[in-house]
Amino acid sequence: MFTSKQMHLAQVFLKIFFRDRQSIIFNLLFPLIFMGVFVFFGGESEPINLGLVNNSSNTISQEFSELVEEEPLFNVTKGEESELKRQLFLGDQTAIIIIPESFNSIDETAEIKLLLDASQVRQIGSIKEAISKSLLSIERSLRNTQPMFMIKVEDVKSRPQRYVDFLLPGLLAFMLMNLSIAGSGFNIVEYRRRGILKRLFVTPIKPQDFIISIVVSRIVIVLMQLSVVLGLAILLLDIKIVGSLLSLYGMIVIGSFIFLCLGFSFGSIAKTQEAIRPIVTSFTFPQLILSGVFFPINSLPDMIQPIAHILPLSVIATGLRDIANDGVSLLMINLNTLGLFIWIILSFIVATKFFVWKEVAG
Amino acid sequence: MNIIEVKNLLKTYPLPGNKKDSFNAVDGITFNIRLGEVYGILGPNGAGKTTTLEMLEGLKDINGGSALIDGLDVSNNAFKIKEIIGVQLQANEYFESLNLSELLILFGKLYSNEINTKNLLEKVGLLTKESAKPKELSGGQKQRFSIACALVNNPKVLFLDEPTTGLDPQAKRNLWNLVRELNVGGMTIVLTTHNMEEAESLCDRIAIMDKGKLIAEDTPQGLIDEYASEPIQETLKGNLEDVFLALTDHRLRD
Repeated sequence: MFTSKQMHLAQVFLKIFFRDRQSIIFNLLFPLIFMGVFVFFGGESEPINLGLVNNSSNTISQEFSELVEEEPLFNVTKGEESELKRQLFLGDQTAIIIIPESFNSIDETAEIKLLLDASQVRQIGSIKEAISKSLLSIERSLRNTQPMFMIKVEDVKSRPQRYVDFLLPGLLAFMLMNLSIAGSGFNIVEYRRRGILKRLFVTPIKPQDFIISIVVSRIVIVLMQLSVVLGLAILLLDIKIVGSLLSLYGMIVIGSFIFLCLGFSFGSIAKTQEAIRPIVTSFTFPQLILSGVFFPINSLPDMIQPIAHILPLSVIATGLRDIANDGVSLLMINLNTLGLFIWIILSFIVATKFFVWKEVAG
Repeated sequence: MNIIEVKNLLKTYPLPGNKKDSFNAVDGITFNIRLGEVYGILGPNGAGKTTTLEMLEGLKDINGGSALIDGLDVSNNAFKIKEIIGVQLQANEYFESLNLSELLILFGKLYSNEINTKNLLEKVGLLTKESAKPKELSGGQKQRFSIACALVNNPKVLFLDEPTTGLDPQAKRNLWNLVRELNVGGMTIVLTTHNMEEAESLCDRIAIMDKGKLIAEDTPQGLIDEYASEPIQETLKGNLEDVFLALTDHRLRD
């Protein structure tokens, strides 16, 4: 299938990669640090820092404020309004509730003020929701009324899914995108700048020999690096891959191929080392945010979602996630597989159109 | 017998900053190179020397005229011609994490040749540097190594683009010796230079280019007889380079 020329060149590219220890280590460091951070800090939700100002001095407000303090969701600091407000500005408090003077009867509706600094708090809506829900249940126990219902959450996927389970496939997709584009795009520009492409061009090597050897060597590199991350995740973080590893690796190979092709196009368009960086960054950075690597695409604004779904990184991250989390097979045709198919063809056409040996080498 | 025949060779580029107009970097030049000779192309910077070589090497498209190497038209036999020529480019950088021996094996593979790296390195005087990386070489060693790379396919014609630019006198003379040895072995050598002494001492025939045109072509002695027949001043002394070599001795410094 491959000529010995292509295989030898692929081996050379692998050799070059493995002699560059620094880049191997740093390529692995980023995803490992990232997963580590989310595992150690992202597991339990932190209690909300809540300032409590009690302007009333009767038994009901006393009892109410004690119940607020007991609530595990809150980390309560009692104090004066001005001091707590200062802490809120500094970010030491997430919110302050102020019990008014008139808070003295369970038969009248009193107004409790909730102070927030919207500029400092992400997900302000859900915090507001959580606080008012807790306060309502405190009210129930004050009034000694039985709640009418409780909600019992049941995961239809019938197995617990943690954030790392969601994160890992996205991170693998992100890693393979970076490794692939670095392998084709950045390398081409670097080899051209140093006259290496020109030197290769005066030998009887054909452009397909060069492209095939880069594609083969890079796919091997991607598979090895991703295997390290995947292996550590399975061993240390107890991550379960529901689907078959064969499907997962198949998807990784397809993803690498797409990004290698796109990388060849970027490397061919960019005339200088200075130009390739912004070109690649403007391609990869939006995808990091929009492609469901760190949070589901469904949590994006409705208007952006259709665009986000068709990005190449989304298609591959979703594919990897379907296999890893839901046990979908690579061969199962769904909308995402169609997207994958379109990107394979599109990226290949773009790469062959832009990569003209004589122009790229010269 | 001519191994290279160039007829009305033309290379045009758009003028920088003015896409509509163009200028001729190589302006319809004609010359023949005989089998087994050392042919020098001389000229100031920007005369079109490198562009001429790059058209013959297949690196640049030919916009007019024709060029034949060993009877093959350069424009439509790119790959066949690459098999029979060896090229040393002005920029000589390589994959830096590979050593000399690995690089030579790689270049051999590109011609589907199994090569004897030791023989090649010995030929260019770099046998002891077998496992060195290119960036550990001195300027002269680098040039000799890039000639070694150009020899992996045992070419009929060897193109050298300013092979001695930037070298110290010792390295320069050492490289001249290498070129002579290769030529004695039967290889046709085409080189560009702006070192007149190099042209005079190495080349069998010389072409002088300026502004894309070939303005003179002859043997070094023929050119001197025609254009500088008046003896300027009889000197029995050498020049400053001889002083330099006498003081620092002739041995190679790398």
